Amino acid sequence: MRIKAKEKKGITTVKVMAKHPMMSYDEAKKKKKEANFIINMDAKVDSEVVYEVSTSQFLSKNPYMKFKFKGENKGKKLVIKWTDLKGNSKTGSKKIK
Amino acid sequence: MNRRKFLGLGAVVAASAIIPASLSATDFRKTKPKAWTAKKVDVAIKEVFGTSKTTKGKVKLKAPDIAENGSVIPVTISSKLAGKTVALFQDANPEATVAVFTVPANGLIDYSIRIKLAKTGVVTAVVDVDGKLYSASKTVKVTAGGCGG
Repeated sequence: MRIKAKEKKGITTVKVMAKHPMMSYDEAKKKKKEANFIINMDAKVDSEVVYEVSTSQFLSKNPYMKFKFKGENKGKKLVIKWTDLKGNSKTGSKKIK
Repeated sequence: MNRRKFLGLGAVVAASAIIPASLSATDFRKTKPKAWTAKKVDVAIKEVFGTSKTTKGKVKLKAPDIAENGSVIPVTISSKLAGKTVALFQDANPEATVAVFTVPANGLIDYSIRIKLAKTGVVTAVVDVDGKLYSASKTVKVTAGGCGG
C-alpha cells in the first residue's frame, strides 16, 4: 500500500492507497470469481488508534482514503492495517513527515 | 466494617468503572451484521445507530454532481462536531451501508474515500454525537454504472 503522511500545525493528514480488487458480490457473479473486499482498515501511531473504518463492497478498486487527526506526531511511525472478507490482512507503515 | 474489606470494595468498583464503552468500527461486522445487509438507507441508519431520526446540518458531504465513472466516485465527509461514529449510506446499490468510521480520541471528522454507485442515487453521511444524529445528503448522477455494469 502507498502511504503519505504529513503533519502541519498539529494536524496530520494521511493519504493511503491500498491495492485490492474490491470485488463485490455482483461483480464476482459476473466474472465467476469469489467476492472479496476490504472490510476493515485502521491506523495507529505508537499503538494508539487514530483512524478506524468498517467498509463494504462499495468502495472503489484499489481504495484510496484520506483522513486527518490531531497531535504532535512528526517523526512518529504510522502503521496502517487492513483486513478483508477472506481474512487476509496487510500492514504498511510510514514515518510522519 | 474493617478497613481491609472496605479497601477491597473500592478496588472492585474502580475496576468495573474502567470498562470502556466504545463502539469500535472493527466490531460493526460482528455486532451489527444487519447493518451491512439492510437495503434501504433509513433501515441501515437504524441498524448502525439505533434510530433513523436525523437532523440535517453541521455535516458537510462533498461528492460530484455528475460521475462519468460510477466505479470511482470521490466522496468527502467533514464536520466540526465531536461525533464518535460517522457512516456513509446510499440508495443506488443492493445494500445501503457503504462505510462506518469510528472517530478516536484525537480524530478529526474529515474523511475522503472513493466509492461505487450502480446508478444515479443519493449519498447520505450521518454523524452520531452522543445519540443525536446529524446528516447531509447529495444526489450523484451516474452516467456509467459502477458495480461491474
